[in-house]
Amino acid sequence: MTKDTRANLVKQGAIWAFIVVELIFFTVAGNFMSVSEQSFIDFDNMLLLLKQSAPIGIIALGMTIIMINGNIDLSVGATFALSAIVLLDSMTWPIFAGLGDWVIPVSWTLALLTGVVLGAINGLIVWKTGVDAFIVTLGAMLGYRGLVFMYNGEQPTSHLNWTLVDFAEAQFLGLHTATWFLLGTALVLWLVMTKTVHGRNAYAIGNNREAAVNAGIRVGPHFLLNFMLIGFLAALSAVVFYSESGSVNPNDGMLYELWAITAVVLGGTKLTGGYGSIVSTLGGVIAIQLLRKGLGHIGADTETVNLVIGLILIAVLFLDRQLNRKGKEELKI
Amino acid sequence: MKHSITATLFASTALLGTAAVAQEMTIGITQNNVGVDSYQTTYEKAFIAAAEANPDVETVVLDAGGDVARQIAQMEDLIQQQVDAIIIWPTNGEAVIPAVRKAHQADIPVIVTNSNIAEQGFDFVASFSGPDNITQGRRSAEIMCDKFKDMGIEDEAKVVHITGQPGYTTAIERAKGFNDRLPEVCPNVEQIDQQPGDWNREKSQQVMEAFLVKYDDIDGVYSGDDNMGVGALNAAKAAGREGIIFVGATNFAVGYEAMAAGDYWGSIYQSPVDDAEAALQTAIDVLNGEEVPFLNYFDTPKITQDNMDQFDKPVF
Repeated sequence: MTKDTRANLVKQGAIWAFIVVELIFFTVAGNFMSVSEQSFIDFDNMLLLLKQSAPIGIIALGMTIIMINGNIDLSVGATFALSAIVLLDSMTWPIFAGLGDWVIPVSWTLALLTGVVLGAINGLIVWKTGVDAFIVTLGAMLGYRGLVFMYNGEQPTSHLNWTLVDFAEAQFLGLHTATWFLLGTALVLWLVMTKTVHGRNAYAIGNNREAAVNAGIRVGPHFLLNFMLIGFLAALSAVVFYSESGSVNPNDGMLYELWAITAVVLGGTKLTGGYGSIVSTLGGVIAIQLLRKGLGHIGADTETVNLVIGLILIAVLFLDRQLNRKGKEELKI
Repeated sequence: MKHSITATLFASTALLGTAAVAQEMTIGITQNNVGVDSYQTTYEKAFIAAAEANPDVETVVLDAGGDVARQIAQMEDLIQQQVDAIIIWPTNGEAVIPAVRKAHQADIPVIVTNSNIAEQGFDFVASFSGPDNITQGRRSAEIMCDKFKDMGIEDEAKVVHITGQPGYTTAIERAKGFNDRLPEVCPNVEQIDQQPGDWNREKSQQVMEAFLVKYDDIDGVYSGDDNMGVGALNAAKAAGREGIIFVGATNFAVGYEAMAAGDYWGSIYQSPVDDAEAALQTAIDVLNGEEVPFLNYFDTPKITQDNMDQFDKPVF
């Protein structure tokens, strides 16, 4: 029992230890290698780090729940792009012309609804057909991306609203708007996963789906809810990000699903489901953004970021396997 | 801890500042997507080489990998690092405007390279360094007209025109330059049709196939770039139509080879090396307080079968 909790502590603490190592490394290396006079660990830089973690971070937090379920969602990048298009395009629709800046909350709502609907489609198919979520969302990834291209061909969809930009660039109590959304999402999801029946069910289903069904958990509706949630979060991520940039390329959000999954796995969530934590995913997201930022800070090539993250990902999975195997072997004796 | 680090840094840079060169400048660049084609790869290499050759310049070279979010984060990082100037190759001419405004508000001059940002952002930009697409279109018209004069058909020749992606500034400007210039130099040459080829070789091959069926007499084809031009050339070859003069822009390796083979007459030579060096030089000039035109073009000369031996084969 104590061994178990200790192994758990090591697993959950590992990502934060890694973040501390990154911080020390980039600060020290930055002193010698960076052309900048600013220290890497400068407070403003750390605030920026949180803000820049938001687009993938908000999605990764939702992905954690999906993966605890034992599912996966590959369509989040396309949902992100489609919601962004609805957000920016709806601001120019003639029916909203009389609203002035009040069009902003309307467009936000429409974009978030888009995400929820796209997520619900995934969830319904997974529920009603029983096809594996990997296949369903792989199809959705291609299909939703197709919709993105149908909308405006290969042209970017653009609408720059300075009121919205000013809101997105604002800093309340020092934190950027995007950071508030990231931390708020993390808090809500952490409460859901640790304090509610829905959260407990998520772990139960991921651990053993048969047993969960036998225990009377309605697995189908549970999946549907979670897919609607991640659709909502992908749209929220788009809403937060595009409020500040005002133009979406049709290929925006590509590979976001993989970055989100990487962050979740770095945070220690099991690909097979049943184990994971929202807080550790937040750590995973921060670790990735730290690497991107830090390697840029010390003047390393951008491509090295991918190499380093890949190596670390394998190391994390290896560590995880070692810890689990030790636990099991000791049980046998 | 943090304070001591900052203090040491401050002290050491202060020492350096007084002892070493006074005029050292730090320039950051965030590129569009370096791995995606060899134009961008060559651009990055040339940029780094040019920066290393200049002892007064230190650079922070970043690549957004085509991702707008990463490019915006890189802009923020460069502002945070307090570089002296930022060069940006926009992933999206509109999405980066707020980030460019942030740099402008932090008193860091921004130089846009290769393709310009949208007009709403012009107030926040110190200069644009890149090719002049209108001039490229005009020069293509001159190349074609000169060839017609050589052949003695300048009073009867008929021309078709394949443009780039509709809506793209580059496509619009090149088409405008060509359409304005051709009647000036060859008033009797008639342009009989103009269709978009979307920068795509297969698409422009289909467009050319349709032209060949529709018109029995075609003497010249102008395409918005060599990629499309070679597509049109393939269509003409397949239909067995000879003697058509092909002129393009942005000389690609395939265009260069077709010129060497005698199938393709001419193009506009746009070198990524010139592009990169022009961007760096523009940033340096801005920092030195020199007068830099807002649209700071680098030269893109004419290349034809006659003078192609003066140019290296393009790498893309």
